[in-house]
Amino acid sequence: MRYLIKRLAFLAFTLWLAVTLNFLIPRLMPGNPAQIMVQKLVGEGPVNPQLVRAVGIMLGLPRGTLWHQYVLYMHNLLHGNFGVSYTYFPYPVMSVVAQALPWTLILLGTTTIITFILGTSLGALAASRRGTWFDTTATITANFTATFPFFWTALMALYILGFVLHWFPQSGGYNAAMMPQWSSAFVISAVYHSILPALVIVLTGTGGWLFGMRNNMIHVLGEDYVRLATAKGLPRREIALAYGARNAILPNLTGFAMSLGTLVGGSILVETVFSYPGMGYLLFNAVGNSDYPLMQTIFLFITIGTLVANFIADILYGVLDPRTRRGGVSA
Amino acid sequence: MQRPVVSIEDVVVTYRSKRRRTALTSVQGMSLEVGAGEFVGLVGESGSGKSTLANAVLRLLTGGGEVDRGRVSFNGEDLLMLSEESLRTVRWRDIAVVLQSSMNALNPVATIRTQFRDVIRAHRRSSWSEQQVDADVSRLLSLVKIDPKYASAYPHELSGGMKQRVAIALALVLGPRLVIMDEPTTGLDVIIEHEILSDLRDLQRERGFAVLLISHDLGTVLEVADRVVVAYAGRIVEDRPAKALLNNPLHPYTRALLDCYADPGADQVRITYIPGQPPNMAALPPGCPFWPRCAEAEEKCQQGPVPPLTRLDGGGLVACHHAGAGTREGADPNLGRSGAVYVKSRANASASHHPVITVTGVYKTYRRNRLPLVALNDVSLTLPRGTVTALVGGSGSGKSTLARLITGMERPDRGTIRFDGRDIPRLGRRGLHAYRQHVQMVFQDPFAALNPMNTVGYTLLRPFVNYGRLSSTEAFKRVRQLLEQVGLTPADAFVGKRTSELSGGQAQRVVVAKALAVNPDVLVADEPISMLDVSIRAGILRLLDDLRAQRGFTLLYITHDLLSARLLADQVIVLHRGEIVEQGLAADVIQSPQHEYTRLLLRSIPNPRRRTLAAESKVSP
Repeated sequence: MRYLIKRLAFLAFTLWLAVTLNFLIPRLMPGNPAQIMVQKLVGEGPVNPQLVRAVGIMLGLPRGTLWHQYVLYMHNLLHGNFGVSYTYFPYPVMSVVAQALPWTLILLGTTTIITFILGTSLGALAASRRGTWFDTTATITANFTATFPFFWTALMALYILGFVLHWFPQSGGYNAAMMPQWSSAFVISAVYHSILPALVIVLTGTGGWLFGMRNNMIHVLGEDYVRLATAKGLPRREIALAYGARNAILPNLTGFAMSLGTLVGGSILVETVFSYPGMGYLLFNAVGNSDYPLMQTIFLFITIGTLVANFIADILYGVLDPRTRRGGVSA
Repeated sequence: MQRPVVSIEDVVVTYRSKRRRTALTSVQGMSLEVGAGEFVGLVGESGSGKSTLANAVLRLLTGGGEVDRGRVSFNGEDLLMLSEESLRTVRWRDIAVVLQSSMNALNPVATIRTQFRDVIRAHRRSSWSEQQVDADVSRLLSLVKIDPKYASAYPHELSGGMKQRVAIALALVLGPRLVIMDEPTTGLDVIIEHEILSDLRDLQRERGFAVLLISHDLGTVLEVADRVVVAYAGRIVEDRPAKALLNNPLHPYTRALLDCYADPGADQVRITYIPGQPPNMAALPPGCPFWPRCAEAEEKCQQGPVPPLTRLDGGGLVACHHAGAGTREGADPNLGRSGAVYVKSRANASASHHPVITVTGVYKTYRRNRLPLVALNDVSLTLPRGTVTALVGGSGSGKSTLARLITGMERPDRGTIRFDGRDIPRLGRRGLHAYRQHVQMVFQDPFAALNPMNTVGYTLLRPFVNYGRLSSTEAFKRVRQLLEQVGLTPADAFVGKRTSELSGGQAQRVVVAKALAVNPDVLVADEPISMLDVSIRAGILRLLDDLRAQRGFTLLYITHDLLSARLLADQVIVLHRGEIVEQGLAADVIQSPQHEYTRLLLRSIPNPRRRTLAAESKVSP
């Protein structure tokens, strides 16, 4: 319990710190977005300072003292008000993000979980059958798929499965002729569009988990307690699961929780290659268009996601590894 | 002997590495029987194959080890031939094991109770209800003197000694007929080791299971075992009842091992050490594997064949060309002392009154899990120049903490440590760097202290570079001199070797050489021999003693072992729970100890001549 409270307090503190830095850093950067916007409009010629001010007001550029701005910023933050997107003007940032987030969460969330489960189980299996044909095949295949650059695999898949064979659509998250809604036709279209990116993510991502798990597990299987478990006459399956995998998975869990945290920001590579309407695609566009409010919000989401994931990893570790817990009978 | 529970017949085990294309036959045909209810000790140095043999019995070999030949008969069946499933039922139900370093033998993520339960479940004792299991776990834990409330604890919440006791209780859960124990008390405090073995012996007698106790320490084994089997270089060289072996050891190796022990309380303490190194299984000489270290070796021994293990008229087995001649009682006591003799009598204690280091009123407290742990409580002592002080105590006595404070690695909470007019805890980084030229340290584990990737030459050059500012030819000359001084001759054979290629004794000599490279005034040696094989311990002690006589440094020797303290030290300081309980001249403290703790330490030293545990008298803890 004490552990939980301590972790929670730490989470709250880091969240506040991240939010504050997110407020300060853009203000320390040189440049005036209104100036840039006007400059873009008028080309090479002189800039009318009044026009700059007018555009600034339209975009909602901050005024007043830094402290005043900070209070206002925190107030807006707590009410989910992140300002107006420059790119998708006049839509507020929040609604732009709200549209992109589910796509990313569903595609990347599902594939991250599948990748982790698949990689970890295959790794555990390879380690407990070390040196057999299964182990050799699994490690060689994983080596092969994991070392190909993602974009190359993605482009090859797009070209062969999409362009040549026409098995899957080449871009987008759903049929562009449909409107996003909760109809079966739309859901089927969305799932159909997500198969190709999901396949490529799983194909390239599984190798890493497999290697991590296999190496941990081989190390754990060499431990004395595993040898003792064999001497105890426990069945092979139980030794591999309750003694081997149970201990070997611990270091991998941290990595898994971290990858869940960063997926809030989407995967720029995946989403740009497949023109998928998620957070990564959004971020890519925001950067390209100097859309500061949108960028700032996405960064904030990534930070919060990472911190929360870290928190969950800590709690999970506390539950699964008694050594990280304090106290006990001896205390 | 009673009908054997298990009989190991001519077992050969080879470790093969496919990748490196090597094969090392570490057990070269061992035969051994354990009778029902018998307590058998199997003794050998590193490389003797004792642990490999123990693992081969239940087919627990790892690292590419395979049984090439032989039988392990149990209940009329050959355990080496059983199917995996039939073997699984024999494991633990009939033959249980306690592994070397039980520190790590318990699953870290499961409670103690769970580890008992899974073995009960695996052997389908499903008729046992949950309450019955819990009651049984509590009973077994009480049997090994662990509070039953620890059943719900996790392994990391127990101390090393407690884990060892839990491992023993776990071995007994199904009521096995044989328990194989591989170095069950190595790494534990002497007092705790003594208590555990004493309790084990009582339990074994009470419940009637047989024990095969594997140890590197003949002294410990002789104290508890009914019969002792001595292994050397993958073969058994002597197998006889403990009492007969103690009174009349027949194999020169057994005799030499026994000579490594002595009564520290005698007026004249004398131990011998066996020359050379423990067997290198990759390069065994032809003939009897022991001949290069044997004082009695003849031509016959050197050319082979290997002397077979032969049954003697008076009972027992021995493998030596000379042993058949009969008993040696009344023979010249120096015969068979294969190495140099190390004698210390009362007289050669020297006294000096010029302190080189003065520790005054030192306190140190650590925090562990928010609980203060007092490591040192008002400790004051002086190290007189040019003498040897032994700092003696069990684990947790604070002796290593004191070493860290004296070498400036940590600072005390309170108190002063003076060297040459300077107060060490107040020195800054530069001051400490200069101070370390005067005070050097030798650690327990030589392999942990040396970088395995470096050569011996490079390792020893470092201190000259750090402190010496010597030209490279001059420095290399010094390195060779040092190597010769610590007995690594010819020096050129060692300069280019990686430290990972050395044996334990050689590595510790390199560590000593490294410490002496800067010509320190004070050498702090923290348990420098406790990780080494018994046969070469005296050699390192002798080396420290000789070097001190030659170079005149002051030695602070930290140990739990009063025998080595008696041999080496002029002054003995006994530390218990962070306080000095006794100090004085080595001979005085050890011959007439005043404090109860010193007496307990003395009683706990393995001393084969005493045989307290196997005999009827029992030592109260």
